[in-house]
Amino acid sequence: MAEITFVESLRMTLKEEMERDPSLMLIGEDIGRYGGIFGVTKGLLEEFGPQRVRSAPISESAIIGSALGAAMTGIRTVAELMYIDFTPVAMDQIVNQAAKMCYMSGGKAKVPMVIRTQEGGGRGNAAQHSQCLEALFLHIPGLKIVMPSTPYDARGLLKTAIRDDNPVMFIEHKLLYASKGSIPEGEYLIPFGQADIKRKGKDVTIVAISYMVIVALRAAARLAEEGIEAEVIDLRTLVPMDFEAILKSVRNTNRVVIVHEGCRRGGIGAEIAAQIQEEAFDALDAPVERVGALNVPIPYSEPLENAVIPDEEDIVKAVKKVLYRS
Amino acid sequence: MATTVIMPKLGLTMKEGTIEKWLKQEGDRVEKGEPLVEIITEKLNFQYESPASGILRKILHHEGKVVPVTTPIAIIAEEGEALPEFEAIQSEVPIEAPMPAAAAQGEIKEHRERIFASPFARKTAQEKGIDLSLLKGSGPGGRIIQTDVISAVERVQTEGARPSVPAQKPADKLIPLKGIRKIIARRMTESFRDTPHFYLSVEVDMSAVQDLKERVKDEVEKRAKVRLTLTDILVKVVASALKEHPIINSRIEGDQIRLLEEINVGVAIALDDGLIVPVVHHADQKSLTEIASVIRNLTRRARRGKLTLEDVGGGTFTLSNMGMLGIDKINPIINPPECSILGVGRTVEKPVVQGGEIKIKPMAWFSLSSDHRIVDGAAAGLFLNHIHKIIENPDLLLV
Repeated sequence: MAEITFVESLRMTLKEEMERDPSLMLIGEDIGRYGGIFGVTKGLLEEFGPQRVRSAPISESAIIGSALGAAMTGIRTVAELMYIDFTPVAMDQIVNQAAKMCYMSGGKAKVPMVIRTQEGGGRGNAAQHSQCLEALFLHIPGLKIVMPSTPYDARGLLKTAIRDDNPVMFIEHKLLYASKGSIPEGEYLIPFGQADIKRKGKDVTIVAISYMVIVALRAAARLAEEGIEAEVIDLRTLVPMDFEAILKSVRNTNRVVIVHEGCRRGGIGAEIAAQIQEEAFDALDAPVERVGALNVPIPYSEPLENAVIPDEEDIVKAVKKVLYRS
Repeated sequence: MATTVIMPKLGLTMKEGTIEKWLKQEGDRVEKGEPLVEIITEKLNFQYESPASGILRKILHHEGKVVPVTTPIAIIAEEGEALPEFEAIQSEVPIEAPMPAAAAQGEIKEHRERIFASPFARKTAQEKGIDLSLLKGSGPGGRIIQTDVISAVERVQTEGARPSVPAQKPADKLIPLKGIRKIIARRMTESFRDTPHFYLSVEVDMSAVQDLKERVKDEVEKRAKVRLTLTDILVKVVASALKEHPIINSRIEGDQIRLLEEINVGVAIALDDGLIVPVVHHADQKSLTEIASVIRNLTRRARRGKLTLEDVGGGTFTLSNMGMLGIDKINPIINPPECSILGVGRTVEKPVVQGGEIKIKPMAWFSLSSDHRIVDGAAAGLFLNHIHKIIENPDLLLV
C-alpha cells in the first residue's frame, strides 16, 4: 500500500483511464503545459499529446459546450472547471443541455462527460473563489454528484465517474489536494450511492461530505475523549445518495448532525434532514442539526473567513445539542 | 346566510366548554332548536340546541376539545352556500378581559394537555409501557427525551413494580376519565390540593327536627305536592345559620375574601355517572315548602340531565347528606370556590346521657369542612354550633 496525495491519486487515475480508453479526452484552462493550477494534469500533455489534453480559452461555456458535444458523439471527456465558482458562467450548458440530453433524446444521446472542479474556502481566496455550490446541482435532475474526501475514494470514484455514460459533477476540495492516503496496488472502482462509514459510533450520527468529513473526524475524536461515540458517515456521492446508510445509522443512534461547508440556507443538509424526518421520524430523539457556513459571501479576511466556515468546534457544539448536553 | 355556531356562554363564570359529543355529523340537516352538540362545562352536561336551520356544513372542533366561550365551533349553511373563512371568524371573536396573572397562569398550565416528547421518546415509552404524562422532561422546554423514559423504566424496575405493559396483565377494564367524571376529578383535585381543609364534627340530637318534619309535612304536601325530607329542613337550617355567620358564606378571591350577599345552598346529588350539585338560590328567603319544591324539581331534572348552568351555578355553600346511604360520618371535600361544606350522616338511635339519665335518642353526625385560609376553628366552630342549636331547637328558625 503506497501513501500518495489526493492530487497524485487523481493524476494517476486520469492517466490509467486515458491508457485504458484511447478516446478519453481532457479539456480545461491551463491543464496542458502548466498542468492545472493544482497540478493534477501535470505531465499528461507530454504523455498523451495536445489532441487529448486540450488547454481551453477562458470560456467556461465553451469548455462545457465542446465537452458535451464531444461526449455526445462518443468521445468520453473530462472537462475541468478551475473553480466551482465559475460554473455559473456555464450554467446553461450544464443545467439546460448536459443534464437534459439523455432525457430529451429519449435515451438516444449519451453524455459520457465528467466535470471536474473544486470548491471550498480556507485559503483566503475570498468570495468568488471559495464557494461550495454542490446544492445548486443537487437540485438539478440529470446530474450525478461525487464529492470524495480521501485519495483512496477519489481514485475509485473518478474511475466510476469516467466510465459512466451520464454527466457527473466531480467536486474536489482545495484543502484536500495535499492530504495523503494509502492506495492499494491494482485497480478498484467505488460504485456510486455507497456511503462509507469513516468512524463507528453509537451515540450520534454525523453525516458529512468532502473536506467536512475530515473536520467531522477530528470533532469525533474530541467527542470520544468526553465519552461520546460519534458515527461519521461520508456520503461520497450526493446523487445518487446512500440514504439507507443514513437511516440505518440514525435508527441506531437516534440523533443526527449534518455537516457541509456550503451555507446552511438551502444547503444539502436541508434536503437530507427533510428525508430523515420523513423516513425515520420515530427514531429521532432530537431535531436534526445542520452545521454549515453562515449565509454570507466568504470574507477575504482570515479571521472572518474562519468565523463563517464551520469548524470542529461547531460540530462538537451541534453534537452536544442533539445529545442535550449543551 | 351561513350561521356560525359558537361555544355558548351558559353562565357568568363560564370561560370554556368541552365538546363532549356532536349529535349531528357534517352534512346532516339540522332544524333550529334541535339538539346539536353536547357540551360539558365546569359543572354540567348540556345539550346545546341549533341556533339555525340548515346543513351542518363544517365542524370546527372535534369531540373532547376544550374551547373558550364564543369561539366558533361549527358552521350551518344551506347546500352550496359559500362558507365564511374560519380564520376570519376567529379574529372577530371578542377577546375576553385578561384574567389576573395568577389565574391566567393556572389556566395555561391546566390546559397544556399536549405532551412534548421527542418521537423516539414516544416510541420507547410505547414499547416499554410507560405513561408519558407521568414523566417530567429534561429537554428544552420540558421536552421528554429518550433518557427520561429509560430512567422511568429503571425506576419502575428498581422499585420492584413492573412497567404496566398492557399485554402482560389479564385485561383490566379501563374507564376513560371523561365527561362529568373528568370535571369532578379536576375540581376535587384542585380543591383538595389548593384549599387547606380542616374538619369539625358534632353529634346532634335529631328528635326535634324529626318532630318538626312530622308536624309540617302534610301541610307542605298540600301546598306543593311534594314530600318533605330531612334534606329540605337542613337546607333551611343551614341558610339561616349562614345569615348569622357571613364569614362562612364567602370565597377567596386573590388577596381578598369576598363575603357574598346571596345565600345559595347547593345540594349534592349522586347520579349514575357522578356527583352533581344543583343550587337552591336565596335559600334564606325561601319557606320550607318552596325549598322542598325547588329541590324536588332540581333532583328530577338532574336525573334526566336537564339541568341548566344557572341551576348549578352561584352556590355559596354545599350540603352533602349521606344519611340515606347508611353512612355515619363524612368529611367532605370543599366544593370550590366555596368556603365550607357540611356533611350529614345517618340518624341512629343511641343511648345518650342527659341530666344524669341514659336516654335513647335519634342522633346524627354533622361534619363541617372549611377553608382555613378564610376561617379558623373558632369561627367555623361557632357556625357548626349554631346549626347544632337550631337542629335541636328548630323554633329558633322563627326568631
